[in-house]
Amino acid sequence: MRSLLDFLAKQAHVLLFILMEALSLLLLFGLNDRQRLAFMTSANRLSGTVLEWRARVESYIGLKGENERLLTENAYLRERLLSLSDSLELERVSQGESVFTVARVIDNSVRKDDNFITIDKGRSDGVDQGMGVFDSRGVIGVVEVAGSHYSVVLPVLNSKSSISCKVSGSSSIGFLEWRGGDPYRAMVNDMPYHTVVSTGDTIVTSGYSSAFPENIPVGVVERVEQQRMSYTLAVTVSLFVDMSDLRWVYVNTMKPDPELEELEGPE
Amino acid sequence: MAGLVLLQVLFLNRISLFGYVTPLFYLWFIVRFDSSMSRYSMLLWGFVTGLAVDFFTGTPGLNAASATLAAMFQPAMVKLFLSKDRREVIIPGRASMGAGPFAGYIFLMTMLHHSAYFLLRSIPLEDWVVITAKIVFSTLLTFIAMLAVGYSADKPNQRRSI
Repeated sequence: MRSLLDFLAKQAHVLLFILMEALSLLLLFGLNDRQRLAFMTSANRLSGTVLEWRARVESYIGLKGENERLLTENAYLRERLLSLSDSLELERVSQGESVFTVARVIDNSVRKDDNFITIDKGRSDGVDQGMGVFDSRGVIGVVEVAGSHYSVVLPVLNSKSSISCKVSGSSSIGFLEWRGGDPYRAMVNDMPYHTVVSTGDTIVTSGYSSAFPENIPVGVVERVEQQRMSYTLAVTVSLFVDMSDLRWVYVNTMKPDPELEELEGPE
Repeated sequence: MAGLVLLQVLFLNRISLFGYVTPLFYLWFIVRFDSSMSRYSMLLWGFVTGLAVDFFTGTPGLNAASATLAAMFQPAMVKLFLSKDRREVIIPGRASMGAGPFAGYIFLMTMLHHSAYFLLRSIPLEDWVVITAKIVFSTLLTFIAMLAVGYSADKPNQRRSI
């Protein structure tokens, strides 16, 4: 008995080891998706400041490219402003509501199977779950969890992401999805069989969900395959946005029409 | 420790060579535990370091589990590469162990830690080729980095605190 106690006393650190490994594995596998995201957002309240330093330093790298992109966007917007100045679009702006919130990307990954993006705006800035995120190039993702000052975005490059979109100029819709691997390509599934779509066509958001307004660019059609089993098309899309190079993004903070929400009911 | 964790999360986690290879240099902190530390404090420090990295990467438990494992086996690894007659307190390094044994020691430590890390991260284990490639190349990268730091920072006959 004595020697057994001695043995246990000498090996007590093994118990501590087992205890801490158990705790780690519980954290790793015991949490469901929502708890994991809650960990990320609460963690970000602490680590957000540090990640923000990193984003701030990194934002100096590649300023030239960023500048060029903004100039291109500016030119495009100017052109649109001219052609739309007397149409209805301006009515919304004149109501004094700001429609998009600008946010900085403070953490991002593209190489995992399920990627996430962290942005430095949260509920206190009007950002909430389900809002679309995009930049001057095109669609990025949808806000998954909004913390008070930071939010986690479910980007296109996540197997759980599904965004309603269509071929520019047509009205048949499909869903933008991603199955891991190449961070520059995604699929548009469930497009009706009869849709006229060919290589080089542009895919844009449909505007059928409240996340994105209509006609935000998504990507260019690379390949069209017919799914004989389900009578749908599977379209491979080359994404406009280089997901590994995100700095500033827009969040669509426009409140959805309450009447529409009521009709569609809770999801 | 704080410095190593910051280096890891601010800079090293951004490195992803060919989409496979990420150096996990924060392990250096555990590699340098001196042999007078109690097993408890080694385990606790290992766990805390891992958890600190996890906090920034949003992977609860992943680094904590692999760092605790490394801290658990650190004393045995040191013993493995140290000649039998030496009993004094040492900080594992080129000066205290000799260049060859130290290289062997950090290689085994890195392999243990990185295997645990990438195996846990890749569950369900589907693509063995990719997982093996990740383990092998990341181990090599971290190993080379530690070798370089170990050789430049740790001159023979000089004691350094961590």
